[in-house]
Amino acid sequence: MKDSSINSREEILTRLKAAARAPVGPRPVLPPAREYALDAAQMQKLFVEQLKAQGGVAHSVSDSAALRAKLAEICRQEGISRAMAATDEVVETLDLKAWGAAAGVEIFLASDFPERNAYTQAVFDQVQAGITGADFAVAESGTLVLVHNSRQPRLISLAPLIHFAVVPVQRIVPTYEVALEKIFSAGSYPSQVSLITGPSMTADIQATPFRGMHGPQKLVVVIVETW
Amino acid sequence: MKLTTRQFKQTARAELNDARTQKFLQILPQRLSALRQAAYQSFTDADATHRFGHAIREEVIQRLPELLEDFEKNALANGAQIFWARDSAAANHYIASLAKAKGARYVTKGKSMVTEELGLNEALALEGIEAWETDLGEFIAQLLGKPPFHIVGPAINIAVEQIRDIFLQKGVLREPTLDPVALGKAARQFLRSKFRDLQMGITGVNMAVAATGTVINVENEGNIRLNKSSPRTLVCVMSLEKVVPTLTDALHMLRVLCRSATGQKAGAYLSFDSGPRRPGEIDGPEELHIVILDNGRSAMYADPHTREALRCIRCGACLNTCPVYGQVGGYPYGWAYSGPMGQVLTPALQGLTDTGDLVRACTLCHRCKIICPAGIDHPSLLLYYRHQDVQKNPRLGGRGAALGEWLGHTLFSLAGTRYGYWRLFTKLARLAANRQRRGDWIHGISAYTQGWFQSRDLPALPEKSFHERWEESKKAEDKR
Ligand code: SF4
Repeated sequence: MKDSSINSREEILTRLKAAARAPVGPRPVLPPAREYALDAAQMQKLFVEQLKAQGGVAHSVSDSAALRAKLAEICRQEGISRAMAATDEVVETLDLKAWGAAAGVEIFLASDFPERNAYTQAVFDQVQAGITGADFAVAESGTLVLVHNSRQPRLISLAPLIHFAVVPVQRIVPTYEVALEKIFSAGSYPSQVSLITGPSMTADIQATPFRGMHGPQKLVVVIVETW
Repeated sequence: MKLTTRQFKQTARAELNDARTQKFLQILPQRLSALRQAAYQSFTDADATHRFGHAIREEVIQRLPELLEDFEKNALANGAQIFWARDSAAANHYIASLAKAKGARYVTKGKSMVTEELGLNEALALEGIEAWETDLGEFIAQLLGKPPFHIVGPAINIAVEQIRDIFLQKGVLREPTLDPVALGKAARQFLRSKFRDLQMGITGVNMAVAATGTVINVENEGNIRLNKSSPRTLVCVMSLEKVVPTLTDALHMLRVLCRSATGQKAGAYLSFDSGPRRPGEIDGPEELHIVILDNGRSAMYADPHTREALRCIRCGACLNTCPVYGQVGGYPYGWAYSGPMGQVLTPALQGLTDTGDLVRACTLCHRCKIICPAGIDHPSLLLYYRHQDVQKNPRLGGRGAALGEWLGHTLFSLAGTRYGYWRLFTKLARLAANRQRRGDWIHGISAYTQGWFQSRDLPALPEKSFHERWEESKKAEDKR
């Protein structure tokens, strides 16, 4: 199998290089995206508008105490009694286990599970919501940027029916470029980065829109004004 | 995937008479085109953005081998494994062997046209491995054994009754229902356990970034992210032209791709993978295998005309704007790629032997060329294929012209390049045509020209040509 790959590689690259090619000309002029001209308040407004246009829900709260209250309120409304939380920089500071004990929501962390299979079973079948922070929130399209690593497992924002994302207001940026340049300028790259815009969606049967096809049916973003 | 393009005309005729197909063709393409148009307004300068995208794809085409080498180097540095596949057999064999080595009894797949090109599901089935499509539309199309109808909505034309029946039959649904949402939920439930206990997932690749070794996927449902998160082994299959130079270039192309495909600024999920999961991560693949597929593309690259089709980013905008696709839908194209996209790709990858009707199913209206975010000139390429077909291009499997066509054109060029013959020819043609005149119009000349007259009439021709009248008037003047 290795040999087949090596031979094919040689064959393919040799053939490609043998072809006559034209030099690459300069790129045409591209005016900068409009979003760069926005101030912080305008960026936040645009982010919320775009998120809502894609079916997401946005709340704004003043600080982390108000955030805890808001989360408790939504969990009550939605009947959530079990949730899994990431342990990223944002969420870790919230001490969600203690919050959950008071709010009547049992909180699981990936580290509660002895190994991968148990965690996978739990995140697919036992919890109703996933709670994460976000590394960035991009105004141009209402998009959350999540860098996945040991503190930000992939399935927490994906497998449960509701995804809560906590966004400190200063993490709102105008474009994807600002976010990804920061992420990729560190020496080694993260194994995965997800850009999330709204809940999971499909319109594959008779063009009837339907949320929650495979991922979350609801995406609730809570923006925290002072962090 | 079996090529059925040879039956283009039969399938097209059937689809023209299919009420469901026609109903969806009246709604879907127009709606998607309008959404695209609206979404482009969010750019500071939509035209400049369009042109910039063309320049990116142009650079990819011109620097393809170097970009692939960079991509490979960086992907390996990220810890990914690379397999170069010269053809579908090699790719399918690699993937099937991997699945077996990992003890996977089944695999799940994200929507990807390249694995349809490979016929991967069939190849895995032969090895005793079930492959489940997980995009809802693909899932339905797979259960029904139908090819995709549209790149964005592969099963959008299928009646709910038919979906209910197949879901009941395959155990996806317990209680019969005709509610599309309930049917979707049943599919979610059914596929969820597959995702949860998954050993190996397979996805395509929308873009591969040379500078970082990152593979990018675009989707709305979350099935691709599940494929990339749940199993311990992940295979991403990319045709070799998917590479782009930098992350910034990828972001530009993602913006135009999402807008062109569905009118969204961004698909619900864009995922960027640079290697397998890192130590300490509880989910994500332990092994990331990237299959770089040739399957005829490096040969296509050698010809500067066919090379142009490698620019395509599979957005589907050309399908939505094409007047032919708008009448016949996706089935007649007969392979993984439909619409103008298929018309430029399929002949280069499969040869002209079976695709002669495909390259002629075009009015050369140029709408696809104008809308294409990758800068493909489809009409010129289709003319090139037609030419290569009659010129018997051996590499493309050109068939040469039919005897009647050859004779007709030879005689025509003989007459057209000699004054005397030309006058005789036009005189005879005029006489023959006018014999069939009905009032001021000619509705047909002979059985042989019936096709031409099907959608056209000819005004009755004057008794004398301009040249004849000119000469007569000169003679009359000379006499005076
Ligand atoms: S040919 Fe152009 S318009 Fe058609 S799918 Fe490819 S990139 Fe899109």
